[in-house]
Amino acid sequence: MMRGIQLSFSNTQKLRLEKALAQLESLSSKVNSNATVIVADTIPVDEDAALKGHGTLEMDKNVVATVCGVVERVNKLVYVRSFRARYKPEIGDIIVGRVIEVAQKRWRLEINFSQDAVLMLSSMNLPDGIQRRRTAIDELNMRSIFVESDVICAEVRGFQHDGSLHLQARSQKYGKLERGKLLKIPPYLVKRRKQHFHHLDQYGVDLIFGCNGFIWVGEHVEVKDAMLEDQVNKSDPQNTQSASLLGSSEEPTYTPLEIRQYICRIANAITVFSALGFMVNLEAVMETVTLSLSLNLGVHEMLEAEFHVRVAEQEAERRSTSTRRK
Amino acid sequence: MEYVNPEGLRLDGRRPMEMRQLRAEIGVLSRADGSASFEMGNTKVIAAVYGPREVQNRSQQMNDQALVRCEYSMANFSTGDRRRKTKADRRSTEISLVIHQTMEACILTHLMPRSQIDIYVQVLQADGGTRSACINAATLALADAGIPMRDLVTSCSAGYLNSTPLLDLNYLEDSAGGADVTVGILPKLDKVTLLQMDAKLPMDIFENVMQLAVEGCKAVESHIREILLENAKTLGNRRGV
Amino acid sequence: MLKNKAFSRQTKQGRVIKEVREHYLRDDIYCGAPYCKSCNVSSARLSASPSTILVLDTNVVLNQIDLLENPAIDNVVVLSVVLAEVKNKNIAVYNRLRALCSNSLRKFFVFSNEYHKDTYVNAMAGESPNDRNDRAIRTAAKWYQGHLESASILLITNDRENKKKAIEEGISAETIECYVKSLGQPELLDLIVQPPSEDVNMDDVEDLRPSKRKVIYSEHKPMSEITSGLLRGLLHQGKLRVNRFNPFEAYVGSESIGDEIIIYGRANMNRAFDGDIVAVELLPQEQWHEEKSLALADEDDDEEDVHLAPNSADDAPRVMNQGQTAPEEMKPSRPTGRVVGIIKRNWHSYCGSLEPMPMPAGDGGRAQALFVSKDRRIPKIRIQTRQLGNLLDKRIVVAVDSWDRLSRYPTGHYVRTIGEIGDRDTETEVVLIENDINTRPFSAQVLACLPPLPWSVSSQDLTNPIRQDLRHLRVCSVDPPGCKDIDDALHCMPLSNGNFEVGVHIADVTNFVHPGTPLDDEASQRGTSVYLVERRIDMLPKPLTEDICSLRADVERLAFSVIWEMTPDAEIISTKYTKSVIKSCAALSYVEAQARMDDSRLVDPITSDLRNLNGLAKIMRQRRIDRGALTLASAEVKFQIDTETHDPLDIGMYQIREANQMVEEFMLAANVAVAEKILKHFPPCALLRRHPSPTKEMLEPLLRTAEAVGLSLDVTSSKALADSLDRAKGDDPYFNKLIRILATRCMTQAVYFCSGDLSPPEYLHYGLASPLYTHFTSPIRRYADVIVHRLLAASLGIYKLPGVFQDRPKLTSISDNLNYRHRNAQMASRASIELHTLIFFRKRPTDTEARIVKIRSNGFIVFVPKYGIEGPVYVTSKGDNGGEWLVDEKQQKIRKLDGSASYGVLGTVRIHMEVVEPQPNRPKLQLTLV
Repeated sequence: MMRGIQLSFSNTQKLRLEKALAQLESLSSKVNSNATVIVADTIPVDEDAALKGHGTLEMDKNVVATVCGVVERVNKLVYVRSFRARYKPEIGDIIVGRVIEVAQKRWRLEINFSQDAVLMLSSMNLPDGIQRRRTAIDELNMRSIFVESDVICAEVRGFQHDGSLHLQARSQKYGKLERGKLLKIPPYLVKRRKQHFHHLDQYGVDLIFGCNGFIWVGEHVEVKDAMLEDQVNKSDPQNTQSASLLGSSEEPTYTPLEIRQYICRIANAITVFSALGFMVNLEAVMETVTLSLSLNLGVHEMLEAEFHVRVAEQEAERRSTSTRRK
Repeated sequence: MEYVNPEGLRLDGRRPMEMRQLRAEIGVLSRADGSASFEMGNTKVIAAVYGPREVQNRSQQMNDQALVRCEYSMANFSTGDRRRKTKADRRSTEISLVIHQTMEACILTHLMPRSQIDIYVQVLQADGGTRSACINAATLALADAGIPMRDLVTSCSAGYLNSTPLLDLNYLEDSAGGADVTVGILPKLDKVTLLQMDAKLPMDIFENVMQLAVEGCKAVESHIREILLENAKTLGNRRGV
Repeated sequence: MLKNKAFSRQTKQGRVIKEVREHYLRDDIYCGAPYCKSCNVSSARLSASPSTILVLDTNVVLNQIDLLENPAIDNVVVLSVVLAEVKNKNIAVYNRLRALCSNSLRKFFVFSNEYHKDTYVNAMAGESPNDRNDRAIRTAAKWYQGHLESASILLITNDRENKKKAIEEGISAETIECYVKSLGQPELLDLIVQPPSEDVNMDDVEDLRPSKRKVIYSEHKPMSEITSGLLRGLLHQGKLRVNRFNPFEAYVGSESIGDEIIIYGRANMNRAFDGDIVAVELLPQEQWHEEKSLALADEDDDEEDVHLAPNSADDAPRVMNQGQTAPEEMKPSRPTGRVVGIIKRNWHSYCGSLEPMPMPAGDGGRAQALFVSKDRRIPKIRIQTRQLGNLLDKRIVVAVDSWDRLSRYPTGHYVRTIGEIGDRDTETEVVLIENDINTRPFSAQVLACLPPLPWSVSSQDLTNPIRQDLRHLRVCSVDPPGCKDIDDALHCMPLSNGNFEVGVHIADVTNFVHPGTPLDDEASQRGTSVYLVERRIDMLPKPLTEDICSLRADVERLAFSVIWEMTPDAEIISTKYTKSVIKSCAALSYVEAQARMDDSRLVDPITSDLRNLNGLAKIMRQRRIDRGALTLASAEVKFQIDTETHDPLDIGMYQIREANQMVEEFMLAANVAVAEKILKHFPPCALLRRHPSPTKEMLEPLLRTAEAVGLSLDVTSSKALADSLDRAKGDDPYFNKLIRILATRCMTQAVYFCSGDLSPPEYLHYGLASPLYTHFTSPIRRYADVIVHRLLAASLGIYKLPGVFQDRPKLTSISDNLNYRHRNAQMASRASIELHTLIFFRKRPTDTEARIVKIRSNGFIVFVPKYGIEGPVYVTSKGDNGGEWLVDEKQQKIRKLDGSASYGVLGTVRIHMEVVEPQPNRPKLQLTLV
């Protein structure tokens, strides 16, 4: 099953792919496959007092799944972690989103959730970095910060009383993302980790794994020292504004070709990985990139059938060694 | 016309209680949140589910539940003669409504307030029983989209020709003018969510025909469950731990 | 179970429509041999031990179905591909083949080769459908060979190419002739149809009459030309109906013209049979109206036989503008045409006998003979036989195979022998076969539907809330003497307020005949009981007819009752319908009932009931007549039959008494009451009976005759006609009746119909002058009444309406079948009476009085009131063209030129009746002037 890609495999490629996938299947724990449920399956629970979490429903004293996925048990809590659902926000998640509307005192962002997320003007650091009340002028200048279709990185702040989801961007590491590529993959392929921002030094590329399945691959940006910037900004706010608006004009006006190629290479690696349905994380991506480089593949060649097969084989190999190590 | 010959075979070689070959595939569209194609013999439909997502028309937004919308259409090439059809003819509107009501009844809409779920079903090839196929495809697509549901909905039709109840009518049998009973059930809850019949049948015969259709629904259910389970396992296995 | 091997087949239908159909191939289709080890043998039908299994090809089935019906051919595998082809080509043969396959006495097994995974064949590129089917047959035969190793498989085909290929493929194959010869039963060879193209039998003798080998008929147009001709309106399509009384005249009812096209002469009929769907070309207008010359052109003897006087226009000869002497005032009003093509043949088998001929010199060999059908509409049929000597004095059944344009007569083959000509049983069977009457005993499944015997009213019946206990009522029945299937009974009870409670109780047949059962299907097929002179063919099995349903005296019986409250003036105050239990206290005959009423000394309760009923009936009858109901008359006769020999002892007019009219009156009232009730409840699906008003043309002969005797009839409405018939009083007492008889035969017959098929004004029953009518009162002997009983029960909410009433086309086809059966039953009983009349007069030459009903150029047609028969009296011998006689068409008189004798229509003559035998074994009744 290959979602979203139409590839023509040769017979041998097909066989190799099948073999690799079969190996993966045999590697995955029996528990995992036994815990798989689909809609309306009854979930066995030991005690009556089990807490029913997401994806479950009590029906005739049975706990029944309402989605397809894997049953997870944490103490008394029983829930079903579904595959292929939209993103379910948790407070503190780092996400990548796209601005779709600039409204009064807020931006609306598409983040692959059942609603659009809200980023209040008040929940973000102003360019001048000062904590202060937002003025009417700030409101008028909102478009100078983010406009429609900008890609933004932010953090989930929580649900408001009216049920809407709010974000915040009160750190320098959050904010507008530029000079790069946004990838959308199913959220279940991104695991919540401590570190979602990665700076790949050797390629000069930043990689952000948004928990919502939006992944940013872009040219590395040095996080400016807040104090330093403050000073500059204080001295000449007018200048700063122009710098942030036309920032590119002062710095190198274009991203070097090499970096652009790396961006695409990494993006393609992620695309291939997610197309195969493998969990996407830094190590896997790096390995895949390395593989493509070692094979001397052009960027576009990564999307061909042969590379998919290679990646699958490599993943099978990787997982089998890791289990053996265990 | 003889729809069941004395040897007990129908025009296409099936016996009265046999269904056509079922085939289903999940995830046929990359852009949709959930998608599936479903085939009953030569009837082939495709379903796409988008959402839950932000409600497009704010005035329709509901604060306690999700808005479900459904659109049914038939591809121009789906029937023998390529007739240009107007987009929303009465038949499409009616079937859209039927599918909408059937699916809404099983989606746990209260879990997704302030959002909207769109279901698009399109008939790619029509050979009788399109309604049932659409409902089955929509069920699969909803499950694929990870939308919480009370139960799977499955549907199947049955008819009555030559004094014999027939399961899963194809186009030829459907256009014979006999009764055509379309049933949709929630198999786990053992409830009927859809029941349609054109033409008339005496009560006792109707009960037989309906029972046959319910049996058909259960057969469809076991097929759908198999497909879903296999799909879920594959997803889990590929993803790794 | 389902072999998931689906694939698509594309067909084009007229326009360019692509059709994709699924076709599932299965592995659960079994071979049908009981000794097969690998198959499920539960439905196996072939012979129990391995022996030769025949596989037939399509053409063998199509041509040799008569042979296949012979029990000598058995152990046959019928392939579904053959069935499908046969069905497309000839539905009648298909039905016969299906009957064979379902007959438990025959070993015919249907093998669905088209759905079997190993025997399905895909059409190859460039292969014609025929070749593909032949290949499918061979593949199936081959499969059988491999599958049943112990049995030998024989493919029967008359197609040389197919046979050759089969033998190449290692399948044993034979022609049907060779196979039949190998059976060693020479009489079977007569059953074989000779292929017209002489594909196989080259040893056939050349036609002995080379002079006949000339083109007699014009060629039929090809189908494509016919289709385009029909489209452009040059040709007209319709069903050919041959005049029952003149086989050289036929009519084609054409929708495109909206009138009937007349076709005169065999040449113009161009080999079409009665019932064929034909394409007709109109002749130029100046050639219209030339029947005389054409009719005489054929050499066949066109003598009219003595026959029973017709009862309605349907039975009467359709004589058009008989007056060839009529001057120009008679415009050629009706189009004349000729047949140019036959769209669908209506060939089946016919009863008759061989034309007498000398035995050919070399006996035992093959002889040609001409077959003359009993049905005069059918031309003579040429057959080949090896048993000529045996068949000459027999009634035989013959089927038609072909008719090429070189041959004057169609070619057919012998099917079976019925018996000796003139023998009463044989002739009776001929009558039954001719009228398509099923005389087979009831099957076991049908009999299984009967309640256990002896049957009696149970306590459940009595306590059933839908049934009213009416056993306390003084019910009696009045029927013809000897009647065993009593389906109606009456009661009459004076009420305290001076009114009467009158009840009509009808046998509750639907309590025993449930819809959808084999019993019901059989009854619906038979449609009606058939009454012949010496036997009765029942619609329902005997226990029901004569016992369980029959409302006999002194036993409790279930009934369906219509109960009125009537004033002494016979005004109906209320009508009640109910199921009931009754106990008849007397089963009277008409004679007995009449005698009781007439005997003023009798004052017992039953007699006074009868008198009350009779009084009411008379008032009702008068009221009905005032409304315009026609008092029609028919010449029904009655035989006295010798109980041992079953030969008729005496013959006489059926006497109608007041008692008959009394019963009839209440039955009519019940029928009308029920008709109103069911139509009210089920406007779209009530089964009613209507009698169409006669058209002016139909009444023409009556008016002409009346005019000739100086009588003027007003036919503008049934009321007017009834009145003018009442006024028609001649100088002798029988005159009025004679006019009524003539009037009756101008009417068509009443027919059943489904109320949804017509609009309310058409529901009219002309003869009874009733806007609604149906049949409710004789469910034992008429299926229509059974249907009406169900409708009535449903309208009372007692039972729900059976599903068939939802199905309009089905209902229409049921009513069509009822009309067909009803008509056939009538024809059969008339034919039976004719037969017995002939037998009666065989030993009794008689002089009697007769009335002239029609004048002909060489004589006249007389009607013999005493015996109810009609026939020609010739005043000139045949061939002599009536030189000394003068016919006055206008006055309807025939006069001798010298004035010594003169006969006018409706005049009385004395005639002599005698059975003569002009040809051996062909007795006929002859009427001559005394």
